[in-house]
Amino acid sequence: MQKRVAICAVAQIKNDPNLWYARFQNMLLECFEGIMQQTKVSFDMEKGIRTVITCSDDVWDARTISNNGMTDVVGAHFRGEEKMAQESLNGLGYAIASILSGHDDVILYMGHMKESQTESRNMCTNLAFDPFYCRPLGMDFVNVNALQARAYMEKSGVTEKHLAKIVVRSRQKAKGNPFARENEAIKEEDVMKSPLLADPLRQLHYYPATDWAFGMLLCSEERVKEFTDKPVWITGYASCMDSYFLGDKDLTSNFSLKNATERALKKAGIKDVKKDIQLFELCDHAAYQLPMWAEGIGLAKEGNGGKWIDDGGMDEFNVNMSGGMLNGNPLLLGGAARAIECFYQLRGEAGKRQVKGAKRALAQSTYGAAGQHQAVVIFEV
Amino acid sequence: MEYWGVKVEDIFDTMNDRFRPEGAKGVTAKFGYDITGDGKWKIIVSEGLLEVIKTDDLSDCAAVMVCDGETFVGINIGKVDAANAFTSGKVKIEGDFGQFGKTAKMFKKYVPKKAAMSTRDYILDMFGTLVSRFQPQNAPQEAVIVYDIGGADGGVWTAYIKDGKCELKEERAEKFTVKLEVQEAKDWVDVMLGKVDAFSLLSAGKAAIVGETQLALKLGEIFGKYQDPMASGTPEQELIVLKKIISVDQKFSTGPVMGKFLNALKEKKILGNKCPKCGRIQLPAREVCAECRVRVDEWVEVGPKGQVRYMEYVYYASPDPLTGETRETPYGMANILLDGCQGNDTFAHLIRRDQIDRIKGGKDDVSGTRVRPVWNEHRTGSIFDIKYFEIDE
Repeated sequence: MQKRVAICAVAQIKNDPNLWYARFQNMLLECFEGIMQQTKVSFDMEKGIRTVITCSDDVWDARTISNNGMTDVVGAHFRGEEKMAQESLNGLGYAIASILSGHDDVILYMGHMKESQTESRNMCTNLAFDPFYCRPLGMDFVNVNALQARAYMEKSGVTEKHLAKIVVRSRQKAKGNPFARENEAIKEEDVMKSPLLADPLRQLHYYPATDWAFGMLLCSEERVKEFTDKPVWITGYASCMDSYFLGDKDLTSNFSLKNATERALKKAGIKDVKKDIQLFELCDHAAYQLPMWAEGIGLAKEGNGGKWIDDGGMDEFNVNMSGGMLNGNPLLLGGAARAIECFYQLRGEAGKRQVKGAKRALAQSTYGAAGQHQAVVIFEV
Repeated sequence: MEYWGVKVEDIFDTMNDRFRPEGAKGVTAKFGYDITGDGKWKIIVSEGLLEVIKTDDLSDCAAVMVCDGETFVGINIGKVDAANAFTSGKVKIEGDFGQFGKTAKMFKKYVPKKAAMSTRDYILDMFGTLVSRFQPQNAPQEAVIVYDIGGADGGVWTAYIKDGKCELKEERAEKFTVKLEVQEAKDWVDVMLGKVDAFSLLSAGKAAIVGETQLALKLGEIFGKYQDPMASGTPEQELIVLKKIISVDQKFSTGPVMGKFLNALKEKKILGNKCPKCGRIQLPAREVCAECRVRVDEWVEVGPKGQVRYMEYVYYASPDPLTGETRETPYGMANILLDGCQGNDTFAHLIRRDQIDRIKGGKDDVSGTRVRPVWNEHRTGSIFDIKYFEIDE
């Protein structure tokens, strides 16, 4: 990337299992006010926010054009408002593109998801599949991920014991993150005894239903001083979409993640992912994905995920210091949660979980079943 | 010349029938059409009247459309994209382009006449194909079948079947095995095309069987099915359409603000909230004033009476997706300016159905019909704690 985009501020609410007393508008409003307080940005048509990007999903909100329900609480009245009904890192990509293209120089980016609203997450993700073939077979993100999990674990020597270790670590790390979902502390044997959802995926291997919202203010390099003294720069972004039908792809090849990573690193001018980046936030919907994505990004050797965990790879490379999605972020927003952790870390504001001296961070997200769509963002200070 | 079975003249000849005076309001002008190779036409529009003339003199026209016959017919019957034809230069407008644009609204769409077969055509075709449809394996050794088809389009035919052969003559045999008497030729055509059941004709007394009834009932086997020459020959691939109701249970939280508004309805109160900055009242109450981007926390009770500002008639009744309930139609959906509200701070609800014809919407300083809410006896914190509004009299 020749030009850089700055994240000036982030705001979020605490990840929660069930915000029954709040509409998603209430969740977003807190984040909106957080951004306003931190940056003092205005809605002046000359100098202020003219474009708002939101991230939400119609099926999960159970209303079409779900962004219409939030324009008032994100300040979007009487100006541009665009929705990303995709993973939130792709929404961030949209914000980056808006700024780098010169379309606008200040973007407010907001997202929400209230997973507690639906009685069945699996019925929602079943709707991601075509109505004639995959839906009647009962496909949803959990059981399709399980298909990938089984194939990946066999290829990479990842065992139930490894998965248990990943889950327990996720919850330990989340204890240091004040915005993380509060979960019971568990031991490895609890994980290994938790009910099977779709073999080999057990309940505790899968991220729990969570409500959450966030906001970010982004701007061009020229304008950053107006909003913050401590910007975090985005220097690389890429996404890649793999085949839709499962039969078309090798479930363990990591094709789309490798593709997105390679392109994002190239844009950021990074040669050696292990040396040049000090912090990694990976979007682990399910425990098996953490080593799998680590392989895709190049932290672990292909087919070596199990050994990588045994060798302490998760701690060596500062992976998911936030606790990760596995501890609880809603679908769609796992990527934003990863990006926000990178922001805090690079600003040195990560408290107990702070990685000392971190200069570069990588956030990854995935959407669709079995890691179909991948996005990677590189941050720098 | 004919294009897609339509002549250029067909378009002009039907212009008077297709003319829409309401679309020509305020237009007084002459327009020319120079259809290369097919001729020139002029239309004169004046005070909602139309005259179409075939003429070579287009000199006094405000605008002249120049194109070839194929393009002209194609645009009129939807085979050629008009915008493409203009941009590619296949159609040119000489003169006042803007004025010519008005012709677009003046005419109903040209619908090509579908060549149709008359009842007589069908009768002749049915008997003309009878011998070729004969199925000897299903036929008796010997039989004489008389078809006595009444009406102006009808006639009398006799089919002689003998030793696996069939011969048809346009005559009335006096000795027959069975005779079919149909009063109207049209009815027989409908039976043959499968539009009407033969038994319903018999029971309605529009047809009769004389002689061996059993043989008459087997006619459908003795002669193969009559194929409608107007129907398309090859059956299309069967397309499968899935009909599904997608249903995923949801819990919609009201949040503290919408919750307070709905709860107040239980107490027969309509609560709005007032923006501390611009002073407008929001109905229903919301967390923020979208225009001022500030939290709105001052509550005010408004109404319950007010005046109608807008009302519409709705003639369909989509079910409420949350309850499956429908409503009777037509119903009146209204925006009501409740007492205490100003400007556009209106409240949307329904109007008592038997009163919708009496509602007048207000405007500026003129009050609309005064209305009051009719409260439900059992109130649950729903927008239907108010059944509807009725005239306050």
